[in-house]
Amino acid sequence: MSDDTKSPHDSVGRVMGTEHTTTQEFRVALDSDNYLQLDDLVVVRSDIPRLGELHTYGVVTETEAIYEGATFESDTHRIAADGILPAQKVRSAHVAVTRVHPEVWVAPDPGQPVFRAAGVQRERALYVDEMERPLPVGVGRDGQAVFVDLDFFDGRKGGHMSISGISGVATKTSFALFFLRMLTARRDVVGAGATNLRVLVFNVKGEDLLWLDKRNAHFARDKKHADTWKVLGVEPAPFPSVAFWAPPRRQSSDAVVPDTGSRHQDVSAFRWTPRELIDEGLLRFLFTDASDARNQIPFIEERVRHQLSRWAVDVAGRPGAVVLRQPPPGGHPRRTTVKPAPGELVIDDLSTLVEAIEPHIDPEDGEPDRAWTGRVQAGTLSAFLRRLHAAVHRLGHLIKAGESRRIDRQKAQVTVVAIQTLHELAQRFVVGALLDETFRHKEQSGQRLPLSAIVLDELNKYAPREGTSPLKDMLVDIAQRGRSLGVLLVGAQQTASRVSPEVMENASIRVVGRLDAAEAERAEYGWMLPATRARARLLKPGTMVLSQPSIPVPLVLTFPFPPWATRREEVAEDGDAFDEIL
Amino acid sequence: MRRRLYVENWAPHYGSPFEADDEVSPATAEVQLEVESKGKPWQPRAGYDGGVESIAFIDGVRRIDARVTIDDPELGPVPGICISLAYGAVIWDARARRSEIAEARVQRLAIFAQGQSVAVPQAGPTLRYRSESVPTSDPAALTTVMQTRMRQAEGELGRELARRGHLVIADGPIHPLEPASVVGYIKSQRAAYLPPEKVPCVAALGPGERTPLFVFSSGGSFARYSWYTRLEDIEHGHTWSGVARCECTGAFALEDASRLADETTFLLPRFASAAHIEARAPQNLVPVAALERHLRRLLGDQALVYRALCAAVAGTPLR
Repeated sequence: MSDDTKSPHDSVGRVMGTEHTTTQEFRVALDSDNYLQLDDLVVVRSDIPRLGELHTYGVVTETEAIYEGATFESDTHRIAADGILPAQKVRSAHVAVTRVHPEVWVAPDPGQPVFRAAGVQRERALYVDEMERPLPVGVGRDGQAVFVDLDFFDGRKGGHMSISGISGVATKTSFALFFLRMLTARRDVVGAGATNLRVLVFNVKGEDLLWLDKRNAHFARDKKHADTWKVLGVEPAPFPSVAFWAPPRRQSSDAVVPDTGSRHQDVSAFRWTPRELIDEGLLRFLFTDASDARNQIPFIEERVRHQLSRWAVDVAGRPGAVVLRQPPPGGHPRRTTVKPAPGELVIDDLSTLVEAIEPHIDPEDGEPDRAWTGRVQAGTLSAFLRRLHAAVHRLGHLIKAGESRRIDRQKAQVTVVAIQTLHELAQRFVVGALLDETFRHKEQSGQRLPLSAIVLDELNKYAPREGTSPLKDMLVDIAQRGRSLGVLLVGAQQTASRVSPEVMENASIRVVGRLDAAEAERAEYGWMLPATRARARLLKPGTMVLSQPSIPVPLVLTFPFPPWATRREEVAEDGDAFDEIL
Repeated sequence: MRRRLYVENWAPHYGSPFEADDEVSPATAEVQLEVESKGKPWQPRAGYDGGVESIAFIDGVRRIDARVTIDDPELGPVPGICISLAYGAVIWDARARRSEIAEARVQRLAIFAQGQSVAVPQAGPTLRYRSESVPTSDPAALTTVMQTRMRQAEGELGRELARRGHLVIADGPIHPLEPASVVGYIKSQRAAYLPPEKVPCVAALGPGERTPLFVFSSGGSFARYSWYTRLEDIEHGHTWSGVARCECTGAFALEDASRLADETTFLLPRFASAAHIEARAPQNLVPVAALERHLRRLLGDQALVYRALCAAVAGTPLR
């Protein structure tokens, strides 16, 4: 134990004795020549009978000042303007206890000197000494690193991260990416999980994430940015290994061009072939509207999905395309290809797929094929078809025969999938397809490592509080089982109250940026202290509140300006000042 | 059988509270009205700013902590009181426009009747009672001693601060032995010193004005200069509301006394208290009220002190 709690000369004040101290909180009467500010970490030493020395650690949650001796509001003038009333200015601070050491829950003694926690004491206050793998995730008010216990993110003791905050200040995604950067750059902390760590990021708005591999020209404007990165132990640099994927443009004839606005270079177009759609059962992700589950559409969908996988046969010379043929008993032999008969419909995109399904469901004459529809009402059948037709219109360009253009998550450490141009239905389809693929892959391997992280903004769209959908079911599944399978969800949303509670509850690490005032009062944010809640309405971009299981109070931290560009205008040209500051 | 000391379980403040009233009775006071006016009609005079740098306001509080009894096998019960006195000063710095509690002292005394005196066991780290006695068996004499000690302590502090260069405003009449810049400040006007023909001048006083000086002596032994001053015009008040009486030593030459009166008259309204805050407004001055609150705190919690005394004394056999 360092000596800094023993000499009273550098204390900031004393534990207040006019009210009870508790194991939860106490107040500090500050020395007139010193101060404490919000989020400062402090330590108090008390001598407890039969126990000896006890250290109480805490974080400042509020500071106050008052004229002692003033009884009435107008006394302020008597004291400050005319000086006829003797009074003493007293500054004080509220402290929420983070820890007692040794762990005997006894309130600190009144009158004891209070010290800023530094060095070993600071680490104790933040439980860093108990974290096996402390990963820096920002800096505190004192400019020193604040850590998360990685065991609670990567599945050892807990998993997933949830980020909430109002949109527009770009904090949620920024923090998620900053966190990923720490995760991918601090291999020394992450350990075995860092090897072959794969990250899947969806770009849902703007094109902010399409420049992760480019240096940010604005970074060099303030040397503080680089200093902060230094504290965090990471070289400020763009992501070294990123692959960008975007859906193809609709009108692209034969050439497949990614549908992005600002960036085309190094962006690959992705889509699925009808064969892939059928094999992976992606049909279900065409019916992800929460209202779909209320009628019998999922029932038909499941029938149709099953029938498609039985009936589909590859077409010779047309990779990815299929024809539908009545399977012989025992089914079509695997990997056979056929030549389409004259007049036989070749399924080479979503439109032809729907065209091929339609006769089974709604034949021009006669009854629907029960093997394809089951016993559902005619109205449900036409609702099903209506949705299929809508899907052709909205995401038809994502399904096309030809060489496989599915997203290769192994190509780079970070895979950015740009879905901002897609219709909501198509966005859900892509998210569903990729999550399913990731999760299934890990399920098959049964191994937690290598870790696979998924960053998904606007989580409330994919796993809303109300209703059910295949996508929501899968996200709930990931939230519940992903921890043990090494599939880690970094979910972001404006309002946690609109996201499925099952998904929220499973996030061990919770982060909040600026919140809407009404939202901040909701039960979802009950883990924040009242003072922190009040402040959450005022947080500036770059400031977050962090909660993790290993620390009983939320911490406020700031994370540094990114060294990667978030807009085309920020991209640094060669010979920029970027390197000079490093 | 030995003498024993007991703490009575009667509430300490039981019995008639003794209010200090050192006011000179008009019957015994010989008043000279024309020292300053020199025979001219009395007119209100405005105070003026004499550049006073600091004022020390003196006040004290006292409390009977416990009533005690010496159970003497021969004398029977001998009454006594344990008292606490706190007195101090607020110093107002004119330039810095700041007041500060500069002095605050506490004395604790045990006073016994019938010339008896026993040591009270120490009741706590700061609860040491110094014993003394009065020769009579009159219980009222006990509180008179308390009063006297208070006045002595306050007087001493006042003279000390005056020597340090402060203008001292003392609470109540002065003990005018020494020529010092100590102004006695009397809040309430129970005695009437002025003949009817001078009273209209008091009624005519505006805030920051005073009457001409008058001198009175008691029994011919010493003289004091005195004057009335108005602190504030009180809406719906009678002609004497908002008026205080001040006095200073008769050892001063007339012009020195005049100057002191003028400066004080100029300054006092600034310290007047507001009626909605202070029950004794405006006369109970703001710094004095604050000092009083502070001093009461210094006396310690009454119940706690009483309990500590009980515990310390509990039937203690006395040596």
